[in-house]
Amino acid sequence: MEVLLGITGKDYVIIASSKAAMRGPTVLKATDNKTRNLNKNSVMAYSGESGDTVQFAELIQANVQLYSMRNGVALSPPAVSSFVRSELAKSIRSKRPYNVNLLLGGVDPKTGEPSLHWLDYLGTEAKIPYAAHGYAQYYCLSLLDKHHHPDIDLARGLTILRMCSDELKRRLPIDSKGLYVKIVSKEGIKEHVFEDEGQVLPA
Amino acid sequence: MASILPGAPQEGIGYSFSQAAPNAASEPRQHSFYPYSDNGGTSLGISGTDFTIMAADTRNVSGYSINTRYSPRLYLIGGEGPENKGARIVLSVVGFTADGSALKERLDNIVKMYKYHHGKPMSVSACAQRLSHLLYSKRFFPFYVSAILGGLDEEGKGALYSYDYVGSYEREQCRSAGAASSLIMPFLDNQVNFKNQYQPGSGTGHNLQAVVAEPLPRERVTQLVRDAFTSAVERHIEVGDGLQMMIITKDGVQEKYVELKKD
Amino acid sequence: MDTLVAQYSCPAIEDTTLDAEQDELLHGPDALSLNFSLPPIAQPSSWLRAMTDDASNPNCPIKIAHGTTTLAFRFKGGIIVCTDSRATQGNWIASQTVKKVIEINNSLLGTMAGGAADCQYWLAYLGMQCRLHELRNKRRITVAAASKILANLVYSYKGMGLSMGTMCAGVTPQEGPALYYVDSDGTRMAGNMFCVGSGQTFAYGVLDAEYRYEMEDEEALELGRRSILAAMHRDAYSGGFINLYHVKEDGWVKHGFSDMNPIFWKTKLEKGEFSNVTADME
Repeated sequence: MEVLLGITGKDYVIIASSKAAMRGPTVLKATDNKTRNLNKNSVMAYSGESGDTVQFAELIQANVQLYSMRNGVALSPPAVSSFVRSELAKSIRSKRPYNVNLLLGGVDPKTGEPSLHWLDYLGTEAKIPYAAHGYAQYYCLSLLDKHHHPDIDLARGLTILRMCSDELKRRLPIDSKGLYVKIVSKEGIKEHVFEDEGQVLPA
Repeated sequence: MASILPGAPQEGIGYSFSQAAPNAASEPRQHSFYPYSDNGGTSLGISGTDFTIMAADTRNVSGYSINTRYSPRLYLIGGEGPENKGARIVLSVVGFTADGSALKERLDNIVKMYKYHHGKPMSVSACAQRLSHLLYSKRFFPFYVSAILGGLDEEGKGALYSYDYVGSYEREQCRSAGAASSLIMPFLDNQVNFKNQYQPGSGTGHNLQAVVAEPLPRERVTQLVRDAFTSAVERHIEVGDGLQMMIITKDGVQEKYVELKKD
Repeated sequence: MDTLVAQYSCPAIEDTTLDAEQDELLHGPDALSLNFSLPPIAQPSSWLRAMTDDASNPNCPIKIAHGTTTLAFRFKGGIIVCTDSRATQGNWIASQTVKKVIEINNSLLGTMAGGAADCQYWLAYLGMQCRLHELRNKRRITVAAASKILANLVYSYKGMGLSMGTMCAGVTPQEGPALYYVDSDGTRMAGNMFCVGSGQTFAYGVLDAEYRYEMEDEEALELGRRSILAAMHRDAYSGGFINLYHVKEDGWVKHGFSDMNPIFWKTKLEKGEFSNVTADME
């Protein structure tokens, strides 16, 4: 029941992940952060098997930073995505694959082009304007189909995120304890405090 | 298949790749009751303004062996006596032949008794609903049969009804059922309902004007039926040998038989 | 022990069925007789599941036609009922022209999700019961009563393998606009809004975001249509035509059975929605 959401706008990408860290019937932590900053302009959100997720994310984080140190250039988000995909493709063919699903959002520091990549543990990769993993796919994609436009501003993007969050609160039987939100723009990555109190009930 | 239905008879004889015999001890035993067999075959029906054409091939198989090259799958329903003289309704059944003939027998009885009770022949729409109920009466022990019913409605227009195994039904322009239905149905969608056909020269992309479907003349439909079957025979092992056609018009039912390839 | 006894005490030929058949021939057809034949084994329901449930066994021999996305919601101007029109047997699209809104009488509608035959048959049966109620009591049946007849009926078959998720929508003088959800588990509940079928979540996504009880008729019709379109786009088991109904005080009105394809492209090109659909290959 982990939720990952990603929305691109005209010059930014919003990445959101659920704050609940769940193990079986228990919520271990209600302020979990399921994201890692890979460099100044790209963020990765992850869900999947516990243990695998953080290990894989930190492996990627370290390697992306190592590349930049060696070559003195920051990788663009599509380049990072290709690298992550190839790591997942290697992993799935290994003895013990990582069971991790990812969303990768970033803004190209040179062109200012926002991009969002959807990746799963099998090594599937797709560049799409909005994305979700887990149950959020079933409730939010139809909503995003209707309300998303490529040139929306940040305020509108956050309004749409609110609609998604409300829908999940309304229909999912398990409370995911709110969303942890990061916004990537040309200026860099910043955390966004997403006020998410109060319950939402079906009509 | 074997692992899922160990009770099902192993159809056909030894194949060049020897299949491991299902090990009764190691596998969980499921249902040994398997009262069905798939006898293959394909049926097809198309309705027009004042006629309905029903067609089916006559090959009867079990597994890879051919039981007979001539077993009819089209049946006249109603009319007089065992020859169904004057009948105006045709039923086609594909799937399990034994269930098919049981179903036909029941429906025929009902339609004949209807005339006996009411002094008038049963309408196709009534017969169609009755067939649905017959199939549904075996909801928990289904007939392994895909049925299509054809005739003329109260206005004299061609009427065609198609069914699933447990009796959900719908009136349609055309329908193919059975083994090669997945080969024939897309062809029919395109050639009878003109799906994905556009007016030549009407533009590109979203300017394209769809061709409006209109009822086809009898000669054209007959040719389509033949084409559908000759093509299906080329690509499906359970279809072939002969094509039985029944053309229902206000003057009665005309039966035709055309040879199909026998390999 | 019972299983063992059943195995041997089951007659080879069931005389009762022959009698019933003979009886039917003599006394005319009893159109909706509730006599269902059962396989001559101890556990008919698990056998039926092995034969027909393609969810648990994709190689099952008998693939029953299934229906998919349906929705209905109450608002100021009555009730909107909207469905897709696709029926699937496994991965095979059995039909793109199924009528999933069943007109029980001129003020009551039923919707169809799950087994197509189950819904068609039992909603026809419900129609008959509703008419009988009218004749016996000289007044229209309430939606509450009608849905209860259906719920009790399917509950009596619980565990036998029926599969249906239906909604009963109608307007009666006693209750005003009323909407009930009834499924084959025996659940029955009244509500303002339900989406049923494999595409339900996608329909909910669009519907929940913009639903208000105070909507105008046109707005409500458009929202119903758009929600089904969303489900058709995202759910592979939904598609075909959009079947739209509006139930008002003086009965229901049909608002078309329209091909989804032109509506999809119109929505995309004129409103800029569905921005994930692109023609360019990167």
